[in-house]
Amino acid sequence: MKRAAALERYRELPLPTTSEESWRFTDLTGFDPDAYELAETARPAEIAPLIELELAGSARIDEGGVEIVKAPEGVVFAPLDEKDERIGALVAAEDKIAAANAAFWRHGLLVEVPAGVELAQPLHVRIESTVANGSLPTRLLVVAGENSRFTLIEEHVSASEDLDALTNCTVEVHVGAGAKLELVSVQRLSRRGWHFAHQRARLERDSELDWVCAGLGSKKSKTWISNDLAGVGATSRVTGVYFADDSQHLDFDTFQEHAAPHTTSDFLFRGVLRDQATTVWRGMIRVEEEARGTDAYQENRNLLFSRQAHANSIPGLEILTNDVRCSHGATVGQVDREQLFYLMSRGLSESEAERLIVSGFFAEALDRIEREPIREALARALEARIPQ
Amino acid sequence: MALLEIKDLHVALNDGTEIVRGIDLIVRPGEVHAIMGPNGSGKSTLAYALMGHPSYEISGGDVLLDGESLLPLGADERAQKGLFLAFQYPYAVPGVTVSSFLRSAMNALRKARAGGTDDPIPIPEFRKDLTAAMEHLKVPRELLGRYLNDGFSGGEKKRIEILQMALLRPQIAVLDETDSGLDIDALKTIAGGISDLVGPEMGAIVITHYQRILNYIHPDFVHVFAAGRFVAEGDAELAKKLESEGYDAYLPEGIPGDG
Repeated sequence: MKRAAALERYRELPLPTTSEESWRFTDLTGFDPDAYELAETARPAEIAPLIELELAGSARIDEGGVEIVKAPEGVVFAPLDEKDERIGALVAAEDKIAAANAAFWRHGLLVEVPAGVELAQPLHVRIESTVANGSLPTRLLVVAGENSRFTLIEEHVSASEDLDALTNCTVEVHVGAGAKLELVSVQRLSRRGWHFAHQRARLERDSELDWVCAGLGSKKSKTWISNDLAGVGATSRVTGVYFADDSQHLDFDTFQEHAAPHTTSDFLFRGVLRDQATTVWRGMIRVEEEARGTDAYQENRNLLFSRQAHANSIPGLEILTNDVRCSHGATVGQVDREQLFYLMSRGLSESEAERLIVSGFFAEALDRIEREPIREALARALEARIPQ
Repeated sequence: MALLEIKDLHVALNDGTEIVRGIDLIVRPGEVHAIMGPNGSGKSTLAYALMGHPSYEISGGDVLLDGESLLPLGADERAQKGLFLAFQYPYAVPGVTVSSFLRSAMNALRKARAGGTDDPIPIPEFRKDLTAAMEHLKVPRELLGRYLNDGFSGGEKKRIEILQMALLRPQIAVLDETDSGLDIDALKTIAGGISDLVGPEMGAIVITHYQRILNYIHPDFVHVFAAGRFVAEGDAELAKKLESEGYDAYLPEGIPGDG
C-alpha cells in the first residue's frame, strides 16, 4: 500500500475502542496519536546494552535515521527502501495503528540472509526513542533465505526512564523453506510512553522459527504476534515473558495460523504483575481445512503479587479440520503465601523469596532459549523488577 | 550457645480460636525434646507459630532465643537467628533447582551474618559442603538439578529438608513429623542425619505422632501434647509407654484420640 493510501486510511479510521473485541481490555481513552510529533533529529543518548554478545552485525535506528554500526558479511543489512515491494505483504494497513505506521514510517531496516547462509553470531538492531513527545514509527523487514540460519535481536529502548513518546513498529518476517530463524524481541521502553507493534512471520516449507518476546516497558502497549504456518512441515515456537507493575498495561495479541499440513506451533507466555498493573493475553489458533496433522499449543500463565493487579487471559481455537492436535491452558493466580513462608523460613527476605519465585516462574519459559547470554540477560531484567 | 525458651505460649488462629493454650519449654544445646501427641492436637500449629507463620497469632506468652524475643521477628529473621523448621509438607518451587535454592538460602544467612552485605559462598566451598552432606544423607545427585520439591516423593522431600538443615546449620531445629511417609530405611538414614547434627551446636524439638523415629534419635525429654497443652512429661521411657498404651489416658474427657 502506498503512503498516500495508508494516510487516507489512517485519517478515515477512528481510534479503536473497547467495543472492538481485540481492544476490549485495552482502553485508548486519553491517547491522541497526533499529539506526538514526528521528530527528525535524535537527541544523543547513552543507553546501556542489555545483552553482552559478540555480534555478526549491529544497527541503530532513532528519529534521525539508521546507523549501521557493524555490517555483517554476505548479508543484506541496510536501511529499508520504501520502494521494496515486500513492504506490507504480511502486515497490511488494516487498522489505525498499522495504517499510521504505513503512512508515517521513515526509518527501517532490511535484514536479508541469502539462501544457505549460516551466521554463528547474532544480528542486533536497537530502536531508540530519544525525543520527548516524539513519534517514532519504524519498520523491520526480515527475509531468511532458503536453508539459512541466524539469530536477530530486536530491541526497543528509550533514551531516559521518564521519556513520554510514541513508538509504533511493524515487523514483517519471511522464513524461507528449510530456514531456521531465532528472533528475540525485547521491549524495554520508558514506562511513560505508548508502544504498538505489529509483528508477523510467514513460514515456508520445513522452516523453523524460534521467537522470544519480552515485554518490560511502556505505560500502555499492544503487541501483535502472528505466525502464518504457510508451508508443509513448518514449526514455530514463540516464548513470551512480561512483567508489569505500577499502573502499566501490556497487551499481547497472538495468532497461530495453520494453513498447511503437518505444521506445528507452540506459544508459551508467562507474565508477572504487581501493584495496579493490568495485562492482556489473547491467543487464537486457527487451523484451516487443508492443515491436516496440525499440532498446536498455546499457554498463558500469570502470577500476581497484588490483589489490585489484573491479568486478562483469553485463549481461542478455531479448527476447520479433524486431524489435529490442539490444546491450550490459561491461568491467573496470586503468589502462594505458603510458598513465600517456606522460602522465608530459610532466611530469605520477602523480596529475595519473591525474586526466587519469579525467577522460577520465568525459568520454565526462558529455558527454551538456547543462547545463554540472552537467557540470562532476560532473567536478570525480569528479576530486577522485584524491588529490593 | 543457643537456648530456646518458650514461656506460657498461647497461639490462636486469626479467628481467635486458641490452639496452643499455654506451654513452657526450655531447649538447651545438645538436647532433643520430643513432642508427642495425637493428630489434631495442635503440634503443627506450635511448629508454625515458632517459625512465625502469619496465619497464627501469638495470643500470650513469649518465645526467646538466647534471651531475645523472636515474636517481633519475621520468619526470615528467625531463620537468620538460627531457628529452623523442617516442614511436614514442604512446598514446591517450580523453576528453581534444589542446588540454586540451597545456594540462595545459604547466601541469605551469610548476608545476615555479615551485617547485611553480600557474602556469597565460594562455589568450590559450596560444592564441597553439599557433596559431603548429600553423601551422608544419601540424597541422590540427580535431585540437585530438579526443581525444588516439584514432583518429589514424600521421602525425597524429607531428605531435602534435612539436607537444608545440615547446610544451614541452625542452632535450634524444629522437626515437624519428619518421620511421616518414610519407609524404614529412609527413616534410619534421615534420623541418623538429624542425630549427628544434635550436639553443642544444635538442640532439637522432634514433633511426632509415633515413637518409631525416637528409636534412632534418642530424646532427652518427652512431652505429651494434647488439646493445646503438655499433659505429661518424662524421658524416653514415656515414649515407649505411649507406643504400647496410646494417647487415650492423656486426653481430656470428650476429646477423641486418634481413631
